[in-house]
Order: sequence, then structure tokens, then C-alpha cells
Amino acid sequence: MARPLRLGAEVLAVGLVVALLALLVWRVAHGSHQGVAQALAKGNSPTAPSFDLPRLDGKGRIDLASVLGRKPVVVDFWASWCVPCIHESRRLQRAHERYGDRIAFIGVDAKDFAGDARAWVRKYGITYPSVRDGSGAVLDRWLSRTLLPSIFFIDRNGKVVGQLAAEEDLPRFLRQISQS
Amino acid sequence: MIRVVAVLAAALALVPAAAACDAHPSQAKLEGDIMCPVCGTTLDQSESPAAEQIKRVIARDIAGGKSDCRIKDELVANYGESILAAPRSSGFGLLAWWVPLGGILLAAAVVGVGAWRWSRGREGEPAPALGVDPALERRVDDELRRYDA
Repeated sequence: MARPLRLGAEVLAVGLVVALLALLVWRVAHGSHQGVAQALAKGNSPTAPSFDLPRLDGKGRIDLASVLGRKPVVVDFWASWCVPCIHESRRLQRAHERYGDRIAFIGVDAKDFAGDARAWVRKYGITYPSVRDGSGAVLDRWLSRTLLPSIFFIDRNGKVVGQLAAEEDLPRFLRQISQS
Repeated sequence: MIRVVAVLAAALALVPAAAACDAHPSQAKLEGDIMCPVCGTTLDQSESPAAEQIKRVIARDIAGGKSDCRIKDELVANYGESILAAPRSSGFGLLAWWVPLGGILLAAAVVGVGAWRWSRGREGEPAPALGVDPALERRVDDELRRYDA
């Protein structure tokens, strides 16, 4: 084989190997991202990942960053197909009616149809605002796998201090973030 | 080699055919083409509430006379491209079909050209010298003569 041709083939082969290695490193780095839930499980209080999503009712958008710093926030990931979400969203609705002036409540409707979600909100009388995360991209940044409902509590400094795991967690975390 | 190239070319030729829309899609076909957004399987492999919700929407859309392309477009608009079990065979998604096939063709061409050049190069080469030490050769001849005597 002519020398320039052989050199070109070698460069191409080395380039391909380097590209494949880079792809592997990128995949490992992005595939092993730590969600908020995992950080909380390790005893950390991670900074809340931001999101800026359209409101389910069509009245503009909600940017989490614009709410953080002014009020503590409760973020509720839900979907209309999620049966346990009914119970938790109703509890959050009662908490919203009681603490709504001090704590912001935001629902994130994930991996769902907007029409079904709007009907669900009307049916169960949920009045705190929800945003649309149809693809679940925001949900995936908070949780490494889809587990609904997932409810997170964010203090005034933008740190996620807890995730609802049991019934009694709700009043405890609401007290904690309202005093932050 | 020619056979492999022919098969790959046929596969490429079938890609645009697969892109044609079906005006009367079947529920079963679409359930095999669409992913459940929460379970990592296609809809036909899942009975999760999220999958059941999408199955109901597909059934409603089929009854409403929508084509499979339109149903998929609406699902992609809602969930993103990851809702499709296989990349689309049109637009940007076509790259997912062409790039691997192109890579296989390129690799086959590189190997074929390399093998052809290597075999041609060997035909013109002189036979390698045996390189036997003359002293050793003389000694072997002496030994053989003594053996024959």
C-alpha cells in the first residue's frame, strides 16, 4: 500500500478510536448524573435544579429561579395517570390553602397529556399552579427514574432540604422551610 | 462482498418505503412503535398506567381517522423524540439509519481495498532467501556423504 494512503488509514483508525473513547467518557459522565433524590438520600442538601416551563393553564411560564429567594417552595411532580398522586395533591392543596401566603406550591405535570392533566386539576380542585414537563426532561434531572408522586421541599436559600417519604413528613418539612 | 453491498443497498432502498404514512394504522402496530415513557419498553409490553393512557389516546385517534404519522407526530410533540421506539426514517432521524449503514460500507471498502493491495504486493515480491550458513551447509553435506558411504 502506498505510504500516504497507509498513513491516512492509520490516522483515520486512530481518530475513530479516540472518537469512540470520547463518546464512552461522555456517556459515562452524563449517565451517572446524581439526581436530587440521590443527593438527599446521602444526607446532602443540593441546590434545586432550575426549570422554566409553560403553565398548564396556558397563562405564561413559571421560572423556578424567579421564585427562589423570595419564598420557600414545594415542588410536586405528578401526572394524571398516577393514582397515588390524587391523595398527595389533595393534601398539598390543603397545605396550600393554609400556608400559601408564606410558601410557594408548584406542581410539575410530567410525562402526561396536557388535556388529561387540565381535566385532572379541575376534577380534584387543585388551585396551586402547575407547569408542563411533557417529555419529563425536568423530572429526569430531579429523579434518576420516574417515580410519581415525588414532592420536594426547597428552603428560602434554594437548597432542597427534603423529599416526602411518609405522611408525617409534610407538616415537618413545611415547618422547616417556612422558618428558613 | 458484492452480496453484502447488495443487501445493504436494498436495506437503504427500503428506508423511504418505511417512511410512507398509513392512513388506517392498527393499534397493535402503533403499540409496538411507541415507547412507554416510564417503563423503558414499548407500549405492547407494558400495562403501566402511563402506557394505558397512551394506548387509550391511540385508540381514540385511530377511531378519529388519524394516520400513523399524525399520531406519532402528536406523541412526539407531547413527549419528545424518545417516545418513538425507533428513530424516524425521515428528516434528521434518517441519519440514525444512514450513518451506521454508511459506516459498514466504508469499513468494508477499506478492508477490501487493503486486502486487494496487500495480495497484489505479495505477487511481485521475490522469494525470500533461505539464509543458511555456508559452514553449516558444508557440514550437513559432509554428514550426508558419510551416511551414504
